[in-house]
Amino acid sequence: MSSSPTLASRLKGRSELGVALLLGAAGVMVFLDANGLATPYSKSDPVGPRTVPFIVAGLLVVCAVLLAVNVLRGGKGEAEGGEDVDLAHPADWKTVLPLVGAFIANILLIDWAGWVISGTVLFWGSVWALGGRHYVRDGLISLALSILTFYGFFLGLGIALPAGLLEGIL
Amino acid sequence: MTIVVGYVPTPEGEAALAQAIAEARKSNSRLLVINSSKGDALVDNRYAQEPEIQSIEDRLATQGIDHVIKQPVRGHDAAAEVLDAAEEHNADLIVIGLRRRTPVGKLILGSTSQRILLEADCPVLAVKAG
Amino acid sequence: MDVFSSLMDGFATALTPMNFLYAVIGVVLGTAVGVLPGLGPAMTVALLLPVTYALEPTSAFIMFAGIYYGGMYGGSTTSILLNTPGESSSVVTAIEGNKMAKAGRAAQALATAAIGSFVAGTIGTTLLAVCAPIVVQFAVSLGSPSYFAIMVLALLAVTAVLGSSRLRGFAALGLGLAIGLVGMDSVTGQQRLTFGMPLLADGLDIVVVAVAIFAVGEALWVAAHLRRTPLHVIPVGRPWMGKQDWKRSWKPWLRGTAFGFPFGALPAGGAEIPTFLSYVTEKRLSKHPEEFGHGAIEGVAGPEAANNAAAAGTLTPMLALGLPTNATAAVMLAAFTSYGIQPGPQLFASQGPLVWALIASLFIGNLLLLIINLPLAPLWAKLLQLPRPYLYAGILFFATLGAYSVNLQAFDLVILLVLGALGFMMRRFGLPVLPLILGVILGPRLEGQLRKTLQLSAGNPAGLWSEPIAVGIYVIVAVILLWPLLMRLWRKARPGRRPLLPANSGAADYSD
Repeated sequence: MSSSPTLASRLKGRSELGVALLLGAAGVMVFLDANGLATPYSKSDPVGPRTVPFIVAGLLVVCAVLLAVNVLRGGKGEAEGGEDVDLAHPADWKTVLPLVGAFIANILLIDWAGWVISGTVLFWGSVWALGGRHYVRDGLISLALSILTFYGFFLGLGIALPAGLLEGIL
Repeated sequence: MTIVVGYVPTPEGEAALAQAIAEARKSNSRLLVINSSKGDALVDNRYAQEPEIQSIEDRLATQGIDHVIKQPVRGHDAAAEVLDAAEEHNADLIVIGLRRRTPVGKLILGSTSQRILLEADCPVLAVKAG
Repeated sequence: MDVFSSLMDGFATALTPMNFLYAVIGVVLGTAVGVLPGLGPAMTVALLLPVTYALEPTSAFIMFAGIYYGGMYGGSTTSILLNTPGESSSVVTAIEGNKMAKAGRAAQALATAAIGSFVAGTIGTTLLAVCAPIVVQFAVSLGSPSYFAIMVLALLAVTAVLGSSRLRGFAALGLGLAIGLVGMDSVTGQQRLTFGMPLLADGLDIVVVAVAIFAVGEALWVAAHLRRTPLHVIPVGRPWMGKQDWKRSWKPWLRGTAFGFPFGALPAGGAEIPTFLSYVTEKRLSKHPEEFGHGAIEGVAGPEAANNAAAAGTLTPMLALGLPTNATAAVMLAAFTSYGIQPGPQLFASQGPLVWALIASLFIGNLLLLIINLPLAPLWAKLLQLPRPYLYAGILFFATLGAYSVNLQAFDLVILLVLGALGFMMRRFGLPVLPLILGVILGPRLEGQLRKTLQLSAGNPAGLWSEPIAVGIYVIVAVILLWPLLMRLWRKARPGRRPLLPANSGAADYSD
């Protein structure tokens, strides 16, 4: 048992190296992209489109290196707390992944099936992922919310959300 | 013998607890106190906090009652938790507190106590707040 | 005189029935989200950005201002009744406020917080109305070099001073600046970081970025770490105060205001430091120091006033210079951009009626908060029993809706998810989100000023420090950047000196 906290902390340290990696990758990406830009010399724009990206790329890479050093030396980012957040237990992926699933389902459905259907799927799926088990009641709430926002956006904001499969009915 | 009591920090819950303590002393039983929450909101005033639990603990200890206090938070409703505990510990008696409700109120809000009364395999003692 | 008449015109605009209605909606909504776990004013304004497509700017900003002040108020309610401060600025309020509530004085704690917020908010807004035009007068005389320097200062100050790790702050800033680069370069028309995708040519919409970072990232983060043991909310009736409480509260209110406003107005002041300073001061000056730690009313009155005065102070650089220094102000600035309104010193001239109506609505909102919320406190406490599945599902639902309605493209939702995952990761590893959002908003403007400056100096970098004010600001920037080094030398020279602020104030960790 005594080795598990050190193992956990080592794992945590390692996962934070991923952040450094991401920063470094972003920096390299910004640099390569800027490097590919044409810079016609012009008196009206001596700075050109490349200067700022180069500075940003430099900042990102320096941060990546320093963060990697910091993490390897035992530095740790302080996870953000909050009134409804309990950091005593590890991330609950069984909640997060279904939430992301509901989100992706909405992206795939929205243009084809329309907002009323995809929004219902999104809300119902999210409620389910978060532990709601009143399937019928939650379903009715989801549907009502989607229909209300559909008409609310159309009548109130003048935005026509896609009707999709229900075109003609709504 | 084992007695299960469903406890909530309300007058009904206190009445149930008092009755359960009396029953436990009479029959020299083990007392299992269940105080559960679905845990689906940040705040649940029916879930007893540390000081309340401590005072119950002290009260039971001074009376010399063999007891266990459990506070499950598993997303189940209170009836399921009490029934679960009763089944698991082969309870001989369940004690619950009843709220006063009109027949219409009862119809709309299916109640915890009703479900326990209907589904329990052992005798159920229902008390009202004094 | 001019300020006064402009302000009166502002009141005339803000008090039209429709605008007044939006003010009421704003403060009620703001208080509700301040009370609700996991929601804050920045997220709420971000989620409401789609209304900018239909609503008149004046009405929208009146509503946003109400949400801003209301959120502050709601936050203090939960920290007093629950001892779970949602924002770092209400941490100090919770110390004494929750002790008071536990001792059966919840009504008095809520009352002194509410009335103190009103006093501080009103004085703070008055100072805003007086100071902002002066700042503007000063700012319009500045050239590009100075303005560029001020923006650099704002970005670096927020990044370096707030938060517990400067390194992680700069990492977040870098990511934000990179996101701000995406799209067509405004001068040469070349595409940057678009990877050949035409959908990215217009850049990432600030609505999508703000909603992703503040709403999606936050909802996923909270969902991963939901508190498992339910809490009790301390029962409370209608807030009220006795004569003794008034006597002990009024001075802390005024002192708190004096701490709060200037810190809020500084580029990196925020509300944490003044609330803490106010607490320490009240503890030192109190005639009942023994009560501190057991529920001293001064310890609620002072910090709560400081918090609200800082909120008003924050609006000074936001309106006068176009520089946001906290998350809500940053999202409000995004709303300006969304209307095509150019924030900056010229805002008072070009959008005078809008700005003055906004300031007037702050006075109105403050009064509304007091009138509406004192009797409603027990009702707000009930909101905490809302089942979470609906709460967080609702955040994701409206986040999706908001981001989608910008362009009606499912592609924006992919970006929303990717940036939401980024927001999740940042919360997990302690990267502050504020520098990122400022980087996205200020980055492009910063680049614009830089190019303008060097265009004027014909490419000579010396043009950057061609104005004395710019030079002065760069000196301040250098001090901020070298501060950890200076502190280290200082400590070496005087060993054994304790840091001035406690570890949780977020200002004392210079370990990197």
